[in-house]
Amino acid sequence: MKKIIFTLLMIFLLAPNFMQAQPIEAGDISSIKSYPVIYAYNEQVTWTFDLSATTFSPGEDLYIWIWSPSEPDAGNWTNSSDFAKLKYEGDMRWSFTLTPTLYFSKTPAEIAASAGFWFRLKDKTGTKQSGVGNVAYTDFSAFYTANQMIKSYPEKPLVDQGVSILFNSNLVPGFVGVPSVHFHSGINNWNVLQEYQAWLPDISAKTQLKDLGNGFYKMDLIPSQYYGTPAGYVMENIVFLMVAKDWAATSPDQIIYAGEFVPPPPPEFSYFPLQISQKDFLGLIRKNNERGINKLTYTVTAGTKVITGVFSGNTAEIKGFINLVSELNGIPNLKEIHVVVKDNTNRTISDTVITLKVLD
Amino acid sequence: MKCKSIFFLAIMSLLAFGCNEIDDGSYAEPITLYEKVNGDWSLMNLKMVDEFAKTNKIKPDEQNLSTLFNYADFKINFSVNEKMNPTSYEVTGNVPPLFPPKGFWKLSSAFQPTDSSPLKIYLYNDEAKTKSIGEFRVTSVPNSNGEMEIQLVRISGGAAFISYVFKLNTIK
Repeated sequence: MKKIIFTLLMIFLLAPNFMQAQPIEAGDISSIKSYPVIYAYNEQVTWTFDLSATTFSPGEDLYIWIWSPSEPDAGNWTNSSDFAKLKYEGDMRWSFTLTPTLYFSKTPAEIAASAGFWFRLKDKTGTKQSGVGNVAYTDFSAFYTANQMIKSYPEKPLVDQGVSILFNSNLVPGFVGVPSVHFHSGINNWNVLQEYQAWLPDISAKTQLKDLGNGFYKMDLIPSQYYGTPAGYVMENIVFLMVAKDWAATSPDQIIYAGEFVPPPPPEFSYFPLQISQKDFLGLIRKNNERGINKLTYTVTAGTKVITGVFSGNTAEIKGFINLVSELNGIPNLKEIHVVVKDNTNRTISDTVITLKVLD
Repeated sequence: MKCKSIFFLAIMSLLAFGCNEIDDGSYAEPITLYEKVNGDWSLMNLKMVDEFAKTNKIKPDEQNLSTLFNYADFKINFSVNEKMNPTSYEVTGNVPPLFPPKGFWKLSSAFQPTDSSPLKIYLYNDEAKTKSIGEFRVTSVPNSNGEMEIQLVRISGGAAFISYVFKLNTIK
């Protein structure tokens, strides 16, 4: 009986501690992309989070824990609800699709007056969490009074990232009261086309702009998907005109220049130092790692002795030192070591024989 | 004549030296570097330098090992006897044996070298100090802050290819 009481006491004393246990910090979100790039608070949007710099595992079930503008999943830190679950998009990217007014049960005005979208990403039971994230919101209301016919967000789009193009039809004769407006366009000076083909219902739908009311329209697209360009296609510009249904009216020709794609620096692997003896530490350093590469596994064979281990890091750098000093201490007649280094995708990074220097 | 002049010289010598006793207090041994080097030292920083890369101007040429392999706990003691002569040394802190963790030691010079030759700490296997087991270059002699920097150099074919720089702090 005493034992039972004691056990129960321990459970009550310790349980709150377990529940309040500090989650493991998985690292910061590298970047957040919204699609559409610009959206009203009552419009559906997908936020995509790049977690390549975190220690979350590829494909892991992750959830959003958002407390501003409101906290929809309040009280469920240790058991996130399904409605807060993210979708894995591959390549260490997760997405979350929502209509802000519905998800937060707030009016657009209330959301606009709030501190913005503040959150963490976490596993279901709250043992791991990302750093605090904030989705930046682009307020485009100024366009309504800017007296500008076309405005693109971002100003210089990239081929594989979203772009939103606003159109003020009030500035073009013939658009008043038209049933729909379409995006007749191509990229690289009409090299790849997506014309407005009024007689094809699916093309009509694909090219149709979203009606924002009062003669204002918005087109959202990701060029590589919208135009079906092959991987590695270099986009220089988007050329287009806005067309009223059945070509009842057209805007003048427009051009948006693409931003310059800056390729990431190539990965760099090196040993440190360049020459070693049996009595030294051997460093492995890999910089500018590809997305998702965060571990180096090594196997050092020295005569009959085999040393293995793993070093963790992130896209910026993975670095570690192998303790040959202790591992090879006292082994006679060693002339060389065979070193094999692989990454977390089991790809061989280095497979080499290193000659050991003989000390004077 | 001959006798006279010898006598005269003897008198002169007595006058010059004989009665002049210099009072400089009791005799004291000169202060040596052993007074500064002996004692317990803890590690502030351990740096591994790629001397080959440094010579050839290749980067990176150094890495910090202070937080690895338990080096945060590294301590070394250089003992002396009552006459301030060096006796044994010992490393504590369960670190990899970059050099033998126990033995005997002495300095290359009891005083700060006046020429450009570096001050060294020689390490020996035996108390008689006949079997060398390594040496450190003292790259920074103990100063008023109680800091000393010693360098373990790996040499092959006469050329240094790696060194380990131990920045030490005296334990009071």
